[in-house]
Amino acid sequence: MRPFNRIADRWPNVPLAAGAVAVLLVLAGLMVIFQNEAGYREQKLREAQVQSDILAASVTAALDFGDAATAKESVEALRVNPQVNSAAVYAADGSLFASYQRVPGHLPASAADGRERNPVEARTPVLRGGERIGTVYLGTVREPLSRRITRYSIIALLVLLAALVVAILGISHTALRRANRELEARAQALSDAYAELHVQMEERARAEDELRQAQKLQALGQLTGGIAHDFNNLLTVIQGSADMLRRPGITEEKRIRFADAIVQTSARAAALTGQLLAFARRQPLKPEVIDVNSKIAGMTDLLDRTLGERVQVLTELGDGLCPIEADPAQLEAAILNVAVNARDAMTEGGALTIRTCEGERLEDGRRSIQIRVSDTGAGIEPDDLARVFEPFFTTKSLGKGTGLGLSQVYGFAAQSGGEVRIDSRVGEGTEVVIVLPCSEREAAPAADAERPRGRHRTGRILVVDDNEDVGRFAEGLLLELGHEVVRARTGSEALALARGDHFDAVFTDVVMPGMSGIELSHQLRAHLPDLPVVLTTGFSDEIARSGTGGIPVVFKPYRLETLAAALDEVLDASGPAAR
Amino acid sequence: MGRRALPFARPLAAAAALALAAAPVSAQPSAAAVKAAFLTKFPGYVAWPPPARPGSGAPVVLCLLGGDPFGAAMDGAVRGQQVDGHPLQLRRLAGTDGAGACHIAFVQGAGAGAALDGLRSKPVLTVTDEHSGGAHGIVHFSIAQGRVRFTIDDAAAAERGLTISSRLLAIALSVRQRR
Repeated sequence: MRPFNRIADRWPNVPLAAGAVAVLLVLAGLMVIFQNEAGYREQKLREAQVQSDILAASVTAALDFGDAATAKESVEALRVNPQVNSAAVYAADGSLFASYQRVPGHLPASAADGRERNPVEARTPVLRGGERIGTVYLGTVREPLSRRITRYSIIALLVLLAALVVAILGISHTALRRANRELEARAQALSDAYAELHVQMEERARAEDELRQAQKLQALGQLTGGIAHDFNNLLTVIQGSADMLRRPGITEEKRIRFADAIVQTSARAAALTGQLLAFARRQPLKPEVIDVNSKIAGMTDLLDRTLGERVQVLTELGDGLCPIEADPAQLEAAILNVAVNARDAMTEGGALTIRTCEGERLEDGRRSIQIRVSDTGAGIEPDDLARVFEPFFTTKSLGKGTGLGLSQVYGFAAQSGGEVRIDSRVGEGTEVVIVLPCSEREAAPAADAERPRGRHRTGRILVVDDNEDVGRFAEGLLLELGHEVVRARTGSEALALARGDHFDAVFTDVVMPGMSGIELSHQLRAHLPDLPVVLTTGFSDEIARSGTGGIPVVFKPYRLETLAAALDEVLDASGPAAR
Repeated sequence: MGRRALPFARPLAAAAALALAAAPVSAQPSAAAVKAAFLTKFPGYVAWPPPARPGSGAPVVLCLLGGDPFGAAMDGAVRGQQVDGHPLQLRRLAGTDGAGACHIAFVQGAGAGAALDGLRSKPVLTVTDEHSGGAHGIVHFSIAQGRVRFTIDDAAAAERGLTISSRLLAIALSVRQRR
């Protein structure tokens, strides 16, 4: 395109020039024809003159001797020349001596008659010894027009051809330029369209971003709404029970019932947050090496009770399965969640089968085991099947389920390095497959639950928490356990107190503004290596990421017994030196 | 040239008129006039060899040998007549003596044959007619279809070194070709 453009730009007047050249060519052709015609006429005139001269020479003697017959013979001899129209010999006095004419009317009556009667005429004086003894007249016709036209038509044709070529050149140049302009216009349109497309793509990307953001917010809204709903239910129970406890004159039997209600509801709330964290894969797991078969065997009683009489629980446990490494409580919760879903799917009763078997190797080459939990229930609609692992997605009626069950299973499996699959046919049943990687370590003996408890000790405890309520609550519990308590609000304050005073242990929150609990523990270990530290947290990125480095953790929400046990342990360890 | 046209046109026109108009009645007088006119015209169509060629200003000599059938008409025809710038001179001779100086000789009478023999070796254009005792010169007048015509013996002319214009040969009744 560019070269054509350059040509078109350099010679913008090519069509005009081509037209001019064509006209010039035609003019030149016409000129050639006219010149040719003039030359032809002149040549004819010369020819006529020559013939006339020849005639004059040949009739000299005849005229001289008055031999009209011979003169007529000579004149008539011209008959063979078709171009000679008429010929005559006039005597010296101008009278006609001998003549010939093809068609009458082309001959002058006398030598003096100067009227032109033929297109080409020639007159020659007849001389004898320098004396004029007469005149010869010769009249010829011109070549017929048709023959002349035929002759010139070749020239005309050539000229027209040349003019045509030039004209076509000019026209094609114009066409080329027009085509170029169109091409340019199209290219411009194309680039405009491209720019438009680009803008639209950007707008679309922005719209998609906005949509994603909106969806995120919607999901967040769903999540928070779901949590709020469940927590409000639980809080209603807790608050109501607490209000009842504050009423005067309450019977001992009622006091215990309300207190139990608070404890149980709080446990459910803790389970709920645990499931949330499991879904977020930020649940602080306490992985142990587990033998899956013995774990499931130990759960059958619990399952029987939980699922009711209408559901038959069957187990088919495979032999020689490798141990796995997982949080046993979470594994238990996962199996229970699947089992509860199965029960809800089997409204008319049915069978729940738990199978264990060796699975295929995982992507990273590790061996795996499968826990397959199947039921004979209603099955799940294909549309719903894709969403069952979404948090708060539930097909159960309001209040019957939290929508967190399968999402806990999903979170647990993912966090344990495995995966979870679900297969379901409407009307036939559902199978959930939990795949977990094998562990290289040996399973710990299952019966270690009852560790010999250490002696209950009391001491001077530094409680560090930025939250006033939680701090006061911890202080209350510790005082109840008989400890002496000093409270600090920040890590640096705690560090200063610990340096200036004697403490038996430090009980610190992990997530605090400024110095975190873990940083504080590191500082304390550096300066006061003998001072034991116990961490507490509801959730910590830091711990989830890199662990605590051997420092014991009490997870919120904690029970009195849990706190007591943790503190007893550290006080025991540093016991003799402490007091 | 126009000025020159009259002197020669007159005898020609007269001859033509006589030949055309008077031929059926009597060809004799008109024929003589025509012959006289012809005799004055022959030198214009003949070239003599260099020795006989008339010099600048010298006349072309026309001789009448053995008789004069023309009389005064001949004098009239010769008067003022010029041949290529040479004046035409008329001589009347009885015999061949002095005939060597003639350019043209019209030979008449019974002694014509001898006269012609005498002139055989000379560059003289000899002219004869029916009154020349049967002898034929280089040019010989005859009457054809009532008109004065002539035959030409070009071979004889060549023998004498004479060259006769083809124009003249063209109007001759017959020509004996030179070899």
